[in-house]
Order: sequence, then structure tokens, then C-alpha cells
Amino acid sequence: MTTFWLLLTAAALLWYSSVTLYVAVKGAGDIREMISRLKGRR
Amino acid sequence: MPAPTHFHWLLDGGIVGIYLLVTMAAGLAMRRHVGKLEDYLVAGREVRLHLGIASLAATEFGIITCMYTAQAGYTHGFSGAVPGLCQAAAMALIGLTGFCIKPLREAGAMTLPEMFERRFGRAVRWLSGVVIVMGGLLNMGVFLQIGGKFLCTVAGFDLSHLALLMTALLLMVVVYTVLGGMLSVLVTDYLQFIVMSAGLVVVSVLVLKEVGWDRVVESVRAHHGEGGFNPLANPSLGWPFLINQFIANTAAALTWQAVIVRVLSARDSATSRRIYTRTSFFFVCRFLLPGIWGMAALAVLGWAPLKALNETDRAALPAAVAEKISASPVGQPLAGLDTAELAAVSDEARARLADASLLALPEFLGGFLPIGLMGLLIAAMLAADMSTNSSYMLSWGSVIYNDILAPFRRRPWPDARAIRWNRCIVALIGVYLLVFGLFYKIEGNVWSYLLLTGSIYLSSMSVLLIACCYWKRANNWGALGGILLGALVPVAHLTLEKLPSTAAWAASVGKDIAGLAAFAAAALGMIAGSLLKPAPKAP
Repeated sequence: MTTFWLLLTAAALLWYSSVTLYVAVKGAGDIREMISRLKGRR
Repeated sequence: MPAPTHFHWLLDGGIVGIYLLVTMAAGLAMRRHVGKLEDYLVAGREVRLHLGIASLAATEFGIITCMYTAQAGYTHGFSGAVPGLCQAAAMALIGLTGFCIKPLREAGAMTLPEMFERRFGRAVRWLSGVVIVMGGLLNMGVFLQIGGKFLCTVAGFDLSHLALLMTALLLMVVVYTVLGGMLSVLVTDYLQFIVMSAGLVVVSVLVLKEVGWDRVVESVRAHHGEGGFNPLANPSLGWPFLINQFIANTAAALTWQAVIVRVLSARDSATSRRIYTRTSFFFVCRFLLPGIWGMAALAVLGWAPLKALNETDRAALPAAVAEKISASPVGQPLAGLDTAELAAVSDEARARLADASLLALPEFLGGFLPIGLMGLLIAAMLAADMSTNSSYMLSWGSVIYNDILAPFRRRPWPDARAIRWNRCIVALIGVYLLVFGLFYKIEGNVWSYLLLTGSIYLSSMSVLLIACCYWKRANNWGALGGILLGALVPVAHLTLEKLPSTAAWAASVGKDIAGLAAFAAAALGMIAGSLLKPAPKAP
């Protein structure tokens, strides 16, 4: 069981770091687009 | 006296100040984009995938999450992270299949009860709204107090500053949520996700580097044995715990208003499904990483519940009682005491002992993290807490306006008036949170409290949603039966736990069996009610 938890912890740290970077970059684009669509509607 | 910490006013305080300034500016800037009610409640349904992921992850991780997941790690070892695995599996399955969330998004409703009205009528919509808001507000009531305790302990402030800290924290969140609604929530969630995630990853790496994986594992083995790694070998967990966790977490993923508001705000049903699938592994991280912080706290501080008491309380304890408390299992300081011994422990001492496992984490982090990282941790935890509070206030506020107050609106209100009402409701929820947070004293395990208050509505609402989407025979009798029976079981269990004559029996049944019984009762109510109602006569 210890190996399972070790692998899961490593996967969690790796996944979380990469998703944070990816979402940080892509999410900013989503916000810009959301605002421009809202402006466009009005 | 608070434990000494490494908090540095200039450096750490500066990091926290910059974070707060940027968040407030971004939140307030969004108010000018609110034109219609739909913009205020569901961001004009313009949420795309990455913003949805950031927002859902930020909302579902608050200081309270960090505290109870770390407490679970401290009291159950790695087995305490199992609810995260169940939640991740539930989110992935729902996202992959579109189970319930596809028809829910396609229905175009703003809340769950609004969808129920189309199938079950107005009375069910109103009653569902009441049950959702009651369960949700009771659940959320403890967030502020726990968050304030964490921040006070980690920064080394005296707990007498708790009320001031809670008020300041709440005021900031209320201001931008009231003004910008869902648009402010989304943009601040995005910033908060980045700060929170950076803090979580950096602190986890540092904890593992400094304390060491082997020391954490050895400490878990010494305190919890095999039960610290395998939930089925843990006497206080086992199969009922696992099954209840999977069912309750699936129900939460389907019906928790703060979660499904991302489904309802998404551009289309495909986006909402992708948000679920791609956020699913986050729920493993959400339980496991703070859980490791809790296990590291156990390795470094050990289990010394008497340290939570002040000199006076400690001196007032009979020697035999103090000895039993010292030798108690981790997280259960009063477990070995009989009725006469319990009477020798004052109420205040009991409350402090109950907090011992909860406050182990901030005490550990406060003395462990160096200057600079302390600022990052506090900013990360503030980010986590603010995103959760803002989103929850808006979610429950939207149900109050959209469903509970619906019978008082004969015609749809103009957008300006509707937005004004929603702003007032969110502000009132803020006042409730402050009052509840100041006066309510939580006893025992925080996760159990959250699950119990949540189960008042999770069982009935999930059964109603599934029946609404997939069972043609479902009708309003069944919906009412499901709501009543689903709420009856947790309320009855809670009452039986408090009555001296039935407390032992209720404890022997346990919260997990009671939770499962609530789902079974709600399903029974739905099936029996729907079948009992006579079919409408043909014209």
C-alpha cells in the first residue's frame, strides 16, 4: 500500500503543477473572450 | 498564549497585502459588465473550459477543506484521503457519461429547483429550494470560524482577534460578490486558483523535503497501523464508509449548487462535461496534499491533546483522567472516559480538546514555514477561502431569489430590480455567516458535520434529479415523498444521537449507515409516491 500512496502523491504533485500553469495561461484567454462577448451583446 | 510562528509583518504581510489588493481590484472591475440577471447569476452562460476548471477547483478548496482534509490525514493517515479518490471517480464518471448534467445544462435552468418545477410543479420547486438553502447554509455556517482560527493560529495571533479577522475577511468577499455577482466570482476565482495552487504545491514539496516521506510513513504506521494505509483495515472506516463516500460524493457532484452552477454557466453541455472530467483528479490532490501536511504534523508534533488546554484547565483535571486523555487514540481525546470521568472535564476544556486535532496543522505550519513562504501560505489560504465563500454565497442566494421567492413574483421582474434583490440577499447571507460563525461552537470531526448537514439535501435532491431526467413515471407525489423521507433520516439520527437514552444505539449505527439509509429512504419515497399517485384520466 505504501508504494500506491507514494505514486499517487507524486502524480498529484506533477499533475497539479502542470495543470496550474496550463490553466493560468488558457484561463486568461477565456476571461478576455467572456468579457468581449458580454460587451458585444450589449 | 498563541504558539510562536515565523510570520513576518513586513515581508509576509506585504505578500498578503498585494494579493488582497489585486483580487479586490479585479473583483470590483467586473461590476460594470453586469447588465442582466443572467450575467449576475450565471455569467451570461459564457464560461469556457479553462476558466470553468479554475473556478470549480478554487470554489471546492477553502481553508475549511484544508483543515478537515489535514485533520483526516492526522487522525486516519493515508486512509483519510480516500474520500478524495471517491470524489474524483464520481466526477470523472459523470463527466464521461454526461449522467444528469447533460440534460440539466440543456434544460437551460438557472437552479436545480427551477428544473424540477417543469416536471414536478411549483410546490416541489419551492420545497426543494428550502431544503437546498437550509442544508447549504448550515453547512457553510462554520466556514468563516474555521478559516479565522486557521489564520490566527498560523500567523501567531491571539484567538481573541478571531471576530475582527472574520469580519474583515467577510467584508472583502461580500463587497465584490454583491457588486459583480458571478462575473466577479469567476475572475477572482481564476486569480485565487493560481495563488492557492502555487501555495499548495510549494508547501507540499517543502513538507516532504524537510520532514521526509519515510518519517511520515513511519509515523502513520506507529499511530494507526495498517488502518492508516488501508481504509478497510481501519476500525473506524471500513466498507460502509467507502460506499457512503462514493454515493454521497456522486450526489454532491450532481446536486451541490456551488458545483452545478459551473454546469449551468458553461457555454454548452459538452463544455460542462469536460469541466467535470478534467477537474476530477484535482479532488485527489484536494484530499491527499493537505492530508500529507496533517500526517507530517503528526510526525513532528505527535498526539499530545493536553497541550491544547491552558494551565487552569490542566490543573483542574484529575490525574487519572489526564492520563487517559494522553493515552487516547489520535483525534479522540475523550474516547476512553466513562460518564463520571467526562463530568470532570469542563465544557471549555472539552471544546479545546475537540479542537486539538484540527489545530495541529496550523500550529505545525506556523512553526515550520520560513519567512516569505509564510506569506505565500496565508495568501494561498485566503485565496482558497475567499473563492469558496463568494461562490457559496452567490449559489445559495440564487436559490433563495430564483426558487424560494418565486411565488412572490407574479411576473418576471425587470433585470435592474432582480439584480438589486440578489445583491441584498447575498449581503444578508454575509450577515448570517458572521453571526453563525461567531456564536456556533462545532463539536467533533468537521468532515462529519459537513457530510451530515449536506446529507439533509444531497439524498433527496440527487434522487429527484435522477428521476426527473430518467424515470418517466416520476411525479410530484414521488418528489415530495423523496424530499421528506430523505431529510427525515439524517434529522432523526442527529436527534437520537443527542438523546441520552438512544445515544448509544445511534452511535452503534454510525454516521455512514445513517447516510446510506438517507439515500435509500429518499429513493423509497420517490418510488412509492410516484406509483401510489393515480394516473391522470384520459380526456
